[in-house]
Amino acid sequence: MSTHAPAPAALTMTKAAAEKRYPARMPKNGNANAYRRIVIGLLAIAVLAPVGLIIYQSFLTAAFFSPRAKFGFDAYRYVFTDKNFYRALGTTAIFSFGMVAIAVPLGGLLAFLITRTDIKAKRLLEILVLVPMFISSIVLAFGYTVSVGPTGFVSLFVRDLIGIVPWNIYSLPGMILIAGLSHVPHVYLYVSSAMRNLPSDLEEAARTTGASIWQVSRDVTLPMVLPALIFAAALNILLGFETFGIPLVLGDPNGIMVLTTYIYKLTTLFGTPTYQLMAVVAVVLILITLPLVWMQRRLLRNARKYAAMGGKGARVSTLKLGTSGQLIALSIIGFWLFVSVVLPIGGIAVRAFVDAWGEGVNLWDQLTFANFDRMLEVPSLVRGIINTVVLSVFGGALAVGIYLLVGLAGHRNWGMSNTVLDYIVLLPRALPGLVIGLAFFWVFLFVPFLTPLRPTLVSLFVAYVVVGLSYGLRLLQGTLIQVAPELEESARTTGATIGRTWKDVVIPIVRPGLAGAWALIMIIFLREYATGVYLMGAGTEVIGSLMVSLLQTGAMNTIAALSLISIVLTGAGLALALRLGAKIHD
Amino acid sequence: MNMKVSGRSARLIAATALMVTFGTAAFAQEVPTGYPADYASLIEAAKKEGTVSVYTSTDAAQSQKLQDAFTKKYGIKIAYNDLGTNGAYNQVISEAAAGQTTADVVWSSAMDLQMTLVQDGYASEYASPEAANLPSWANYKNTLFGSTVEPVGVIYNTKALSEDRLPKTYADMITFLKDNKTELQGKVATFDPEKSGSGFLHHSNDARNRSDFWDLAKAMGDDGAKIYSSSGGMKETVVSGENVIAINIIGSYALDWVKESPNLGVHFATDYTPAFSRVILMTKDAPHPNAAKLFIDFMLSQEGQSALAEGGLPSVREDVTAGLNVKTLNERVGGGLKPIAVDEGVLEYMDQMKRVQFLNDWKAALGR
Repeated sequence: MSTHAPAPAALTMTKAAAEKRYPARMPKNGNANAYRRIVIGLLAIAVLAPVGLIIYQSFLTAAFFSPRAKFGFDAYRYVFTDKNFYRALGTTAIFSFGMVAIAVPLGGLLAFLITRTDIKAKRLLEILVLVPMFISSIVLAFGYTVSVGPTGFVSLFVRDLIGIVPWNIYSLPGMILIAGLSHVPHVYLYVSSAMRNLPSDLEEAARTTGASIWQVSRDVTLPMVLPALIFAAALNILLGFETFGIPLVLGDPNGIMVLTTYIYKLTTLFGTPTYQLMAVVAVVLILITLPLVWMQRRLLRNARKYAAMGGKGARVSTLKLGTSGQLIALSIIGFWLFVSVVLPIGGIAVRAFVDAWGEGVNLWDQLTFANFDRMLEVPSLVRGIINTVVLSVFGGALAVGIYLLVGLAGHRNWGMSNTVLDYIVLLPRALPGLVIGLAFFWVFLFVPFLTPLRPTLVSLFVAYVVVGLSYGLRLLQGTLIQVAPELEESARTTGATIGRTWKDVVIPIVRPGLAGAWALIMIIFLREYATGVYLMGAGTEVIGSLMVSLLQTGAMNTIAALSLISIVLTGAGLALALRLGAKIHD
Repeated sequence: MNMKVSGRSARLIAATALMVTFGTAAFAQEVPTGYPADYASLIEAAKKEGTVSVYTSTDAAQSQKLQDAFTKKYGIKIAYNDLGTNGAYNQVISEAAAGQTTADVVWSSAMDLQMTLVQDGYASEYASPEAANLPSWANYKNTLFGSTVEPVGVIYNTKALSEDRLPKTYADMITFLKDNKTELQGKVATFDPEKSGSGFLHHSNDARNRSDFWDLAKAMGDDGAKIYSSSGGMKETVVSGENVIAINIIGSYALDWVKESPNLGVHFATDYTPAFSRVILMTKDAPHPNAAKLFIDFMLSQEGQSALAEGGLPSVREDVTAGLNVKTLNERVGGGLKPIAVDEGVLEYMDQMKRVQFLNDWKAALGR
């Protein structure tokens, strides 16, 4: 599900540059190859166990644990002849590409403005533009219905002004627009770090020959960051394929169905859950991911020729926007932030403090704290908040440790095990959280020595670590790659083993980065919702999954209160991240 | 179930245990009247087990009174798992297959899934001493018990529709939807039988009992009805004015909502108001069988039923005075209450072919 924010990767240049300086052929001795293989092997087990279970399930005729289960292709036959599947696939494709068409140009523009120009309030903007990424899509969609739904308070205000509501968020274009705007940060992250590494002499040269700032960005900057843009586009297509919250809340009532809501429907369609059909759709999603990973690897390999332009320590100077340029740029960013942050969060905030809203309802009359009071009376909800904080704060710290171990295993590792690593990292992201959560539930239920862990937070933690893998690992790799290879080389030449080098050189240097990474992982764990739906039980409730289960009965008062709490916690996490100096961008 | 007991809940358990010890001394383990004499030993055994694990689709908030009353009375902790109808079913069959049964009782509004669990041998029989106090339709072979009676009804926006315009009977509703097509266009809401088990139950039960159900479905389709997967979700849209009327929603929730929500009215057809029941069973290999039996007895007792009715879930017993009971509810809805019997009838649409046919007909009627 949309849990996985993209990583602030863009190792594009740096990694390639590092590869050049640091020879691919390493001395066999003391290169920690055993360590690398063991860590990556363990990770592969953690990822492939649930994924393998899903693939196995897709070839059966009933639940894998049922005595009636036989090997066969019935499930594939059903899905591939179901016209609803193709309809959902078609809608998903339109949705994803539409989303990319909005997110990529806007994200690219934002990255250009913030990294290459002298736009005002840069420090603040760098943080603000990321905020939409940290709101879970189910909260986002819910917030939009309250503010800009057919009878949302903004819609009613506009209708009073001009007589009609000129938009409809319950349509495919409405959904695409909302999803597109909320995915802008995902593009921004990749493109901005690529742009940051570009030397500015080419742009300056173009400027001195009289090119306008837009000509420069189009003819000079754009071609240089094209790989990053293409990769961001591909990644967003993938994110579009697994978006769940927005289609569920906004598309469902009018029967607009995408693959993830199609999977959701398969759980009830036949009365009893048809796991094999869900598994088939999950396999389809995995198959869509693999070419993406392949493409990513190719792009990284080719990236060297772009990186070659970058000399060491190239000074990055900024382009002058001028007064009107500043005004236009800031208005665009301001309007986008208003639509993708203020509107949904405003909607949630309003809903959390009222019992009713809409046409003919005076919000002031409805003002109440009852939603929170009632929530605090229910032990499981209170426990959910506590568990979520525990899982985010302590689980997040532990997760950073795990990602660091994996990151080191992949650090300056050009062997076969690194190829394996690249492929397994993106796999969990391809699967809807609901499905991967179900697979983990089974793993913890059927693997004998794991069963005692199922009713504890450990099971949720393991699932979260795997689901957050792609984001977390990129975060750590981004930090690790910044350690200048010379430092490691000098340690090695004075006789230190690679383990010693990591312990005494690499880890001390990246320590500040670890604190920032911890805060960001914390936020990712905070907003997670679909993964825990099957894993949580009495005593191990978490906010996000509680919201999903409450959605089934439609207890909107409680959902709104929980959403607001989750947003406040996310805000606190973000503030902490900034205090700790999180390198959100590189 | 709970491996990790937090410090706070440990203290709570200790406190309740202490309370219970004193309580026991004072009342010498009272056996409710009409219960078998050896019931005291069941209570003792249940207390030794200390916990009962409940898998349910009912939000914790709605049954909090029942939970508190039970824990207060017996000092037995409730591990309450709100998993949704499908989640509860899925976990029960998965756990059974793994030989790791954790659920003691399953309490769910999905009557069809619950009956499937019974038929497939996941439940165990228990002759509850309270069974005699239930209507006969609410006891299926001492294995599956109806614990509530919840009417299916209509909510509407009072600003958009005045009460006197609402149709009196089921047939009138069809005419009403047809006659007001322009006014209601795109503003009618109903349950999605494909995504919601409750929705499927409500619609398919109508199809079983009403020959004119498909006329209703067609009329909704002509009005461009929108489909939702929860009653609460529909309420949100009706209160906000996005929809004018929502059909076949859970009426017992609505009876509570109208007390607080502005602009919201609730309505039932006088000739036909079906009602479903949250049904409870004890699992086959329940790890705490005595606590499970005690919990079922308590839920069906006058005390437990009162606690449920106070939480807005009307009682199946006529002798419950708190909230609504099956008799007062019938009066409230205009005399047409038709509880769905807890029997094999609810399995009719679990047959794959029939189910697919029903859903295809439904989609055709709604023009999707």
